[in-house]
Amino acid sequence: MNQEQISKLEKSIQNMKDKSSRIYFLVQDTKGNARASVRYIYQMALTLKNNGFNSIILHEKPEYFGVSSWLDEEYMKLPHNAIEGTNLAISPEDIIVIPEIYGFVMDQISNLPCGKVVLCQAYDHIFETLNPGDTWTKLGFYKCITTSDRQKEIIESMMRGLSVDVVSPFISEVFEKQKFPPKTIISVHSRDQRETVNMIKAFYAKFPQYRWITFRDMRGLSELEFANAMKESFCSVWLDSTSAFGTYPLESFKMGIPVIGLVPNLQPEWMNENNGIWINNQNMFVDVVADFIQNWLEDNISPVVFEEMEKTISEFSDKSKFELDVVNLFNNMINTRLTSFEEQLSKFETIE
Amino acid sequence: MEKNTISVILPIRTGKTGFFEDYLDKAITSLKSQKEQFNEIIIVHTNETFLTNHLQSYDFGELNVKFEEWTKEPNFSSQVNHGVRVATSEWVTIFEFDDEFSNIWVKNFKEYANIYPNTDAFLPIVVDVDDKGVFVGFTNEATFAANFSSEMGILTNETLLSYQNFQVSGLAIKKESFVNYGMLKPTFKLTFGYEFLLRMTHNSVRFMTIPKIGYKHTNLREGSIFWNYKNGDDVLGEDEVRFWIDSAKKEYMFINQREINYEPQEV
Repeated sequence: MNQEQISKLEKSIQNMKDKSSRIYFLVQDTKGNARASVRYIYQMALTLKNNGFNSIILHEKPEYFGVSSWLDEEYMKLPHNAIEGTNLAISPEDIIVIPEIYGFVMDQISNLPCGKVVLCQAYDHIFETLNPGDTWTKLGFYKCITTSDRQKEIIESMMRGLSVDVVSPFISEVFEKQKFPPKTIISVHSRDQRETVNMIKAFYAKFPQYRWITFRDMRGLSELEFANAMKESFCSVWLDSTSAFGTYPLESFKMGIPVIGLVPNLQPEWMNENNGIWINNQNMFVDVVADFIQNWLEDNISPVVFEEMEKTISEFSDKSKFELDVVNLFNNMINTRLTSFEEQLSKFETIE
Repeated sequence: MEKNTISVILPIRTGKTGFFEDYLDKAITSLKSQKEQFNEIIIVHTNETFLTNHLQSYDFGELNVKFEEWTKEPNFSSQVNHGVRVATSEWVTIFEFDDEFSNIWVKNFKEYANIYPNTDAFLPIVVDVDDKGVFVGFTNEATFAANFSSEMGILTNETLLSYQNFQVSGLAIKKESFVNYGMLKPTFKLTFGYEFLLRMTHNSVRFMTIPKIGYKHTNLREGSIFWNYKNGDDVLGEDEVRFWIDSAKKEYMFINQREINYEPQEV
């Protein structure tokens, strides 16, 4: 071990101690479309930044649309770096956080000596971009962050030797309770737009007496537009069988809007028989919507639904808990690495 | 006058019509079963002996009922106007004996009147049924239809000029607006409600539909005014129907009633 290596190790230790070591978060370019998974990453990065860490947003191409059109402007004040066309500075003390969808990036950076973390928000994407036989641990990723205990179980069953931490998302304060009575609008969110269109067409065909009920597709809206549009609704429809967490129904809950949803393949932990109208059979969907409309028009929605929504959302409304979880998690990660670096250094010093 | 109090105006021409007792019983039961109560019920009835006797012997329970005997020529609009004049509430609502209010109507009306103090009239979503009680359709719901009204839920004069299917029965309106802008015009046949809505909206009376079922209306009950226009002694031909629609679209500019008489329009 020469002096130069010892100096580098000392410098790395110092960077970790004064929090100047970098924490990179790779994000997808949504081209201006709101996406809960990207918002979650930005919230994490901003929390770290506000707590003195050196968090940096990483995007694939230099032409990055950004999130200012749908998220708050302050998120774009975070430092941003493109992977392509720039000489990315990554040191051993740095941490790079890669969403599960970027298996090919994990492959490319598998030999980098930095801390590598997978951020898995959608369990169904885990193997999408991994080579057959590859696992995250084989690519040098031994840590993972996910959004629920149920996803954690699935991930652990698929990826042996991986340490998984859970950080539950929080639902932003822009989703506030309705101040005025809702209008005859149903907000719809589906993973695939065709599902929304088909559901609406089937509904109007089967229940022409309700042609005056408006369905609003909630895609492509900024967070604020989304919240304002949702505020006018008396009901939310959620069609996303591969959802891993269910941000959309929770946003509805926070605004006091009952949800009619298709039970996803991975049933969210927060879902119970009383906090929404949950359906397994998609063929019955429009009938349930019509039934709900009739009940709403007659003020017959059980108050239990609203009480249960309130109870459920209280667990996801605490921004400070989210922030504390994020800070603790990264503090622990950095401290573990710091201890390891210090041990290495002390060994070298003993040898010398 | 106490804020957001509401009087029901129930005009009755005759009790000698099919299933009168049953219809009236259902109508009064719907008033009794309100989650929040109406302040008074004003029954403007003719002096027909059968009707008077039936009303006097009927058990209205705790309802605050006032009887107003109508001795002039029976006329739906005139009887309503009289009831409105004697009403002591801030708001009035027109009720027909063969109809029913849903039990949530007063509760919702009061909630909306508190939230939207600048609104002068609230329309319920009306469920139209035939005389067998079978669902026919909704009325007043069109204010919520996409691209129909400039402001969702609000009924405007412009909207009314292109679409007529709104009705005054079940409507809650401030007595002051009702009286100041000329009340119902008794000389109007068929389209008296339409002309009234056009006139009110023309005079900036703000109408909002409450998106809740508030009223059940029996369509074309044998012996009803509109049944008579279609099948009874007072049948209106197509030409006369057109005349009354056209007249409504002209006369709403005038607050006071003018003499209107049908003359065949087709040459």
